[in-house]
Amino acid sequence: MTLTQILKTLVTCILVITFILVTASAYRHHRSISSLANLSDATSTIMTHLAADELAYIDETDNSKHSYVIDPCKLENLVFTAEFGGDNFEFQVTVHYRLGDDEQELGPYGSVLLNDNTTNCSLTAACALWSNGRFLPAKLSVIVWYA
Amino acid sequence: MAFMFILIIFGAVLMHAYSLRPLQAATDRQLELKCEHIYKTLDTAWVENYTLSFLRAAAENLVLEYPTIPGSYLCSAMENTLNYLSPSDYEISATLTYEETTLTFNENREPPSKQFIRQGTVSIMKAGGENAIVHVAVMLFKIS
Repeated sequence: MTLTQILKTLVTCILVITFILVTASAYRHHRSISSLANLSDATSTIMTHLAADELAYIDETDNSKHSYVIDPCKLENLVFTAEFGGDNFEFQVTVHYRLGDDEQELGPYGSVLLNDNTTNCSLTAACALWSNGRFLPAKLSVIVWYA
Repeated sequence: MAFMFILIIFGAVLMHAYSLRPLQAATDRQLELKCEHIYKTLDTAWVENYTLSFLRAAAENLVLEYPTIPGSYLCSAMENTLNYLSPSDYEISATLTYEETTLTFNENREPPSKQFIRQGTVSIMKAGGENAIVHVAVMLFKIS
């Protein structure tokens, strides 16, 4: 075996190892991105559930449900865990609104992130808040993480 | 050999870039959801000091000769609220159209790099009992 052949074999081995490492790295990257996308979709689903159903204000006069209107009385009795596609999630909810020029906040309600390094996803979306007989423009914030 | 090496580098970049697509799609879905929430909020929340929603008040300004909320007050209240509700790096504009007339709040003058639109209608009863249908488009767009 000549020196050239040895070198060629060596370079081929390096290339094959590099290819395997790159493929493994891309697979791991894809897994972590998929997990983040799942978390993001779970956050959107939780937000929709809260705004359209669980926190929705119900008018007692005609028993009609006002989706996208938050009833602050429902915040304290909310269950702050959810399960989607076999994964368990915990979340925290905060409502921001403006009274005149002042920014007000309700919450945070729910679970507390024990470790700051835990992967979490936060989403803030507009909603209306039922407060003192008025529908105020507000923002509903949700932070979700894997339980 | 050099060609194979270049091919591996190119493949690696391609594989990593492709795997980012689900996350970009999830982010777009969140923005779509935010746009829907903004529309519903404007449709439900009342203008300060009045008991009329933002979209209904704007539709009245477009259709009626004597709307409940004066145009200048509504314009200021609407733009304040749109600025308050807009996510960071994004802006919201609302356009109402009735026949040939258009009313736009927070008009976007530059072509947006990314935009999400939620359309709907608001019906207003005119003086003669005629029902006027006003078309509404709420646009969430990225500031370039």
